[in-house]
Parts: sequence; structure tokens; C-alpha cells
Amino acid sequence: MKSIRIFLLITLLSIIMLVNFVSALHGYRDTVAEAQRLFDRQLGASARLLADMPVASGAERVVAQPEAMVMQVWSEDKKLLVRSADAPVKPLSEFAVGFKEINFSGYRWRSLTEYFPDNGHWIIVAERSDLRYQLADKLAIAAVLPILLGLPVAGLLIWFVVGRGLSSLRKLAEALHSKRAEDLTPLPECSPPEELLPVVQSINALLTRLQASFERERRFSADAAHELRTPIAAIQVHAHNLESEFKGTGQKLIPASLVKLEDSVHRMAHLVEQMLDLFRTTPEHYPARFEMLNLHALAREVLAEEYPIFAQRKQQVELLGGRVFIRGDRFALTILLKNLLHNAAKYTPVAGRIKVSTTLVKEDILLRVEDSGPGIPEEEYTRIFERFYRIGGDRHQSTVPGCGLGLSIVQHIARLHGAIIELGQSSFGHGLSVTIRFTKVKEDERD
Amino acid sequence: MLLTSVMVVLREVLEVALLLSVLLAATRLLELRARWFYIALLLGGCFAVIYGENLAKISQAFGGVGQELVNAGISIFIYILLIVVAVLLLVNWHKKHYKLLTMQFVMLLAVTMAIMREGSEIYVYLTSFWLHPPLLPSVMIGALLGAGIGYSLSALFYYLLCGLSQRYTLGISCIFLTILAAGMSLQASQLLIQADLLPAQEPLWDSSRLLEENSIAGQLFYAISGYEATPTPLEVVVYVGSIVIMLGIIAGVYYRISRD
Repeated sequence: MKSIRIFLLITLLSIIMLVNFVSALHGYRDTVAEAQRLFDRQLGASARLLADMPVASGAERVVAQPEAMVMQVWSEDKKLLVRSADAPVKPLSEFAVGFKEINFSGYRWRSLTEYFPDNGHWIIVAERSDLRYQLADKLAIAAVLPILLGLPVAGLLIWFVVGRGLSSLRKLAEALHSKRAEDLTPLPECSPPEELLPVVQSINALLTRLQASFERERRFSADAAHELRTPIAAIQVHAHNLESEFKGTGQKLIPASLVKLEDSVHRMAHLVEQMLDLFRTTPEHYPARFEMLNLHALAREVLAEEYPIFAQRKQQVELLGGRVFIRGDRFALTILLKNLLHNAAKYTPVAGRIKVSTTLVKEDILLRVEDSGPGIPEEEYTRIFERFYRIGGDRHQSTVPGCGLGLSIVQHIARLHGAIIELGQSSFGHGLSVTIRFTKVKEDERD
Repeated sequence: MLLTSVMVVLREVLEVALLLSVLLAATRLLELRARWFYIALLLGGCFAVIYGENLAKISQAFGGVGQELVNAGISIFIYILLIVVAVLLLVNWHKKHYKLLTMQFVMLLAVTMAIMREGSEIYVYLTSFWLHPPLLPSVMIGALLGAGIGYSLSALFYYLLCGLSQRYTLGISCIFLTILAAGMSLQASQLLIQADLLPAQEPLWDSSRLLEENSIAGQLFYAISGYEATPTPLEVVVYVGSIVIMLGIIAGVYYRISRD
């Protein structure tokens, strides 16, 4: 069904209407039968009254009668003695005792034929049938009219009452709708109706299981990354020692396998660091220490720190804009900047250009990192935030180690700061532009 | 007068409303939009008034049996349309989005025709009392009671069909379409007997003691299955024949679909 409210309104109104109307019809039939019996008794009384009336056996007498009633008095030898003005001169009905339905003068009549042996008179009285039904009709209309007039009111009341009854369901839907994607806290169970309580309890049980499952996954990944750090560091040291030993033996050429080993260990160390950063910066678990900081100054510091990467690739880096203040976590923002700069360096060709800017636009503070690399197609904009996703997959052309976690970390940190990430084409004409849009801090909050 | 009004209106309303219930349930089953239903209501209502206004002239045509012939034609046409609806319903159930527009058009046509036929009779009946103001309240209240009972039964029937699991809704919709369609062809045969185009015969049986035609239950059975307390052999043959033909077509289509 499309709507519970409409379903209940239609079915309830239909049931009310059906029950009431069928009852009214039965009532009407009973009324008709009762009226029939009443009028029949009246006809019998009229016939008996006429039988007691002295009738001269001479010429036919015509008497006035009410319009809806006719009568005839016949002698034993079937001679008309008395008739009402509207009655025909022929017998209204055959000479057989009892009630009959007859037609004459354009109407249907209910007739009663009686024979009175005391005076030997046949008396036929008849009454218009439609007038009998009119009484029953009036009674039925009086009974049905209030039901008919009450139906729209009943419909309106059902509409409101059902709406009120469904309000708990609406509130539950709103509570679920307003929940943030990462919010897995149970729903409040403040006195929901009996019928909804199992639903709320089931949803809460599901949320609890989901939260526990996420937590397990997060802990396992974080612990695994942490535990891997030490052996990787040891391997790095051993590889370095091995290289020194080779150099010590006077060999000019270091074996290619050792170079590859060092490269792989370096990549693995980077991956473990990135994984740790990813789980460290999860908004729900990160112990943020927000402070007022100058984003421009922070960007300059990180650029200076990471400058060797750009210098190695002979890339030109510019920092534009001026002092802009945000409330942020220095450590997290440093990781964010490093990831953005590493990505820019990675995808910008040798001797390419990178532009970092901090600007104030209306109510927002924008941190923008633009590169002069190949850029990415628009349809990939949402996917690049997925963990371990790299455009081109294993065929990735970058020579710099990467694991596809950088932008996931950036997304975590942006969410931690309530900032929005916007992707677009860089001002170099080609390449990617990543903009982090922070909300501006009010003047009085700055000091 | 009130009871007569109830029965006249109930009979006509039930016939259309039950057909609408089954077709709306089919619409829902195939997740179609019910726009055709509103258009059919509007068109059917307009055509009913036009047909009702001209019924006197139509009756005079073909030697005084014009109304019987036209109504019989409409009934046979609806019978054919309902076969097409049942076939398309089955085909669409297995092969989604096959000639859905055609199906909606056929349903629109069938309902418009049914409303035009039954609505014109209600229109003629009610308007004949405009000149008898004392009888009008009874007639109108009776008509409202009849329409109310007809509407309620059909609305509940619709929700009953929708409440069934989809497989049962399909089967029961096809069965009801067959019974309703056979009722249409039975009516056509009765009209042709009235027009002396088919021979009048002695009734085969009289079941009025078991179920009176003029009771609410009798009217309900009439609307669903074309119940006739005193059917002639020819009427029975037409009724059974119509059911066999339609079920045969449905079974054939079902067999072909299952084989594919």
C-alpha cells in the first residue's frame, strides 16, 4: 500500500458505510413489513366497520371516502350496494376472502375482501400501496440521513486520528533520517507505542552490532599497522646495514635486488604510516585539540618541511594569499597539508608547477592546492575518496610511492573541522585543484 | 421506492466498481501509474450522460431494439477487452515492460465503456424522477445507499486483492477478470434474447429460493458472475462457453510464456 493513512481512511470508512447502510436497509425492510401489518389491520378494521353499517338493499349508494382509500359493499348475490366515489362499479377484486395486490386508476392498491355471513355482505376495501411505502421511506430517510451527513465528519476524524496514531512512526523516521552516517548511537526509547517498541529495539540492536563491528575493524587495522611499524623499521635498518657492508667490501655496484628491497620496504613503511594516520584521524575517535591558528603560516611551515620532495622533482611551488585564521587541530591540519602536497608533487610532472593558496571568500576560508598534472576526470571525483582507490589501479603511472589513502585521510580531517572538499580543474588549464572550504572564525573568537 | 433505487444503483455501481477493483489491483501489481483510471472515470461519466440523453432515440432505432443491440455490442466489446487485459497482465508479469501503454489504453477503454453503459442507466433512472418531487428524496437516498454499498464492497475487495501475495493476486485477478468477462457476455446474450435475435427458452432451473436476485447478496453475485436465478439453456451455454474460451486463451498464453 502506498499510504497507511489513506488505506485506513478508505477501509474504515468503507466498513462504517457498509455496516450502517446494510443495517439501514434491513431496518427499512422491517419498517415496511411493520407498516404493512399496521395498514392491513386498519383495512380489516375499516371492513368490519363497513359491515356494521346499515345498508339499504335498494339502489347503489355512492359515499365520499378519503382519496387514498376505496371501498365496495356487495350483496350476497354480487349486487353492488355501496361504493366510494373513486371506486369502480365492477368488483375491485375477486370474491375471495383475503388480501390482494390490484391495479386500477393508475396506481397499485392493497385490497382486502371480507365476507360477513351475518348480513351476507361482501366488503372490499383497498388502499394505495405507494402511500404505505411513503411512511416507511420517511422513517428510513430519517434514520439514514444522519449517517450520510455524518460520513464526511467521520472521514475527517479518521484522517486526523490515524495521522495522530502514525505520528510516532513519523518521529522514528525523522530520528533515523537526521542521524549522521557515522552516528551509530542507539535511538532514544522514550515511551514509543507498544507496536513500535520492537522496531526501535531491533534498530538499536542492529546499530550496536554495527558499531561493535566497525570498532573491531578499526582496532584490528590500527593495531596491525602499529605492530608492523617495528619490524619494518628493523628491515629498513638491516637493508641499510647491508648496503653499507656492500660498500665496505669495495664493491662499486650495489645489487639490483637490494635496491628493490629498499624501495619496497620504503613503500611498506609509507603504507603503514598512512594507515595509522587514517585511523588516527577518524572524526569519531580523534582527540582533537582545537586552537586558533593561522592557516597561511601553517601552510608555509609544511611547504618548507616538504620542500625537498619538490626540489627533487624540480617542481616550482608558490604560496599565495595572506593570513587567515581558523579554529583547527594543528597536528591534523599538518597531516592534511602534507597529503595534499604529496599528491600534488606525485602527479605533477618533473619541472611542473604547484600553487598553494589561502584566501577568504565571503564567510569561508579556502585552502587550495593546484597542480599542473594530468588532472582526473569528473566521474572519478567521488571515487578517489575511497580507501585504497587509485585511478588506473595497478597501472598507475606515478613513480612516487602511494597507496590510495591520502585523500581518505584528507576527508577525515576535513570532516573533523566541518569543512567541505571541492574538486575541480586547476588554474593552470590542466591538473587538479583541491579546495578545502573552512567556515570563517568570528573576530571576537580570534584572540 | 427507496429499496428499488438501492437495487438499481447498487447493481450498476457494483458491476463497474468490481471491474475497477480488479483492474486497479492489476495496475498495482505491474507498478503502473493509475492515471488511466482518472481519465476513464471522467470520460465514462461524460459519455454516460451523453448516452443517457440519447437513449430514447437509440431505443427507437433498429425497430425498437436499438438500446438492447448497442448495450449487447458494448458488453461483447468489454468481454474482448478483458481478454486482452488478462493476456497482457500475464505477459507483463513474466516479461516486464511489454506493451504497458497498450495495456493501460485497453483498461481505460474497458472501464470507460462499462461506466458509460451502467452510468447511463443510473442517469436515466434518476432523471426520470426530476418531475416527481415527492419521490425524489427517497430515490436519491436510495441511490446514495446503493452507491455507498457498491463502493464499500469494491474498496474492500480491492484491498483484499492487494493484501494477497503477488502470485495469488495475479491468479485471482485473472480468475475474476474471466468471471466478470463471462458476466458481460451473459448480459449480451440476455439483451439479444430481449431483442428477439436469440431464441427465448424455458428456464433450466430456478434458484431464486436459494439466492434472490433482488437481494444485496443476489446483486453482488450478479455483479461478479452475472448471476441469473432462472437461466435458459442458451444463457448457460454462452456463460460456460465464454469462461472456457477466456481460460483457454489465458492457459495457452501461460504455457507459451512458461516454455520461453
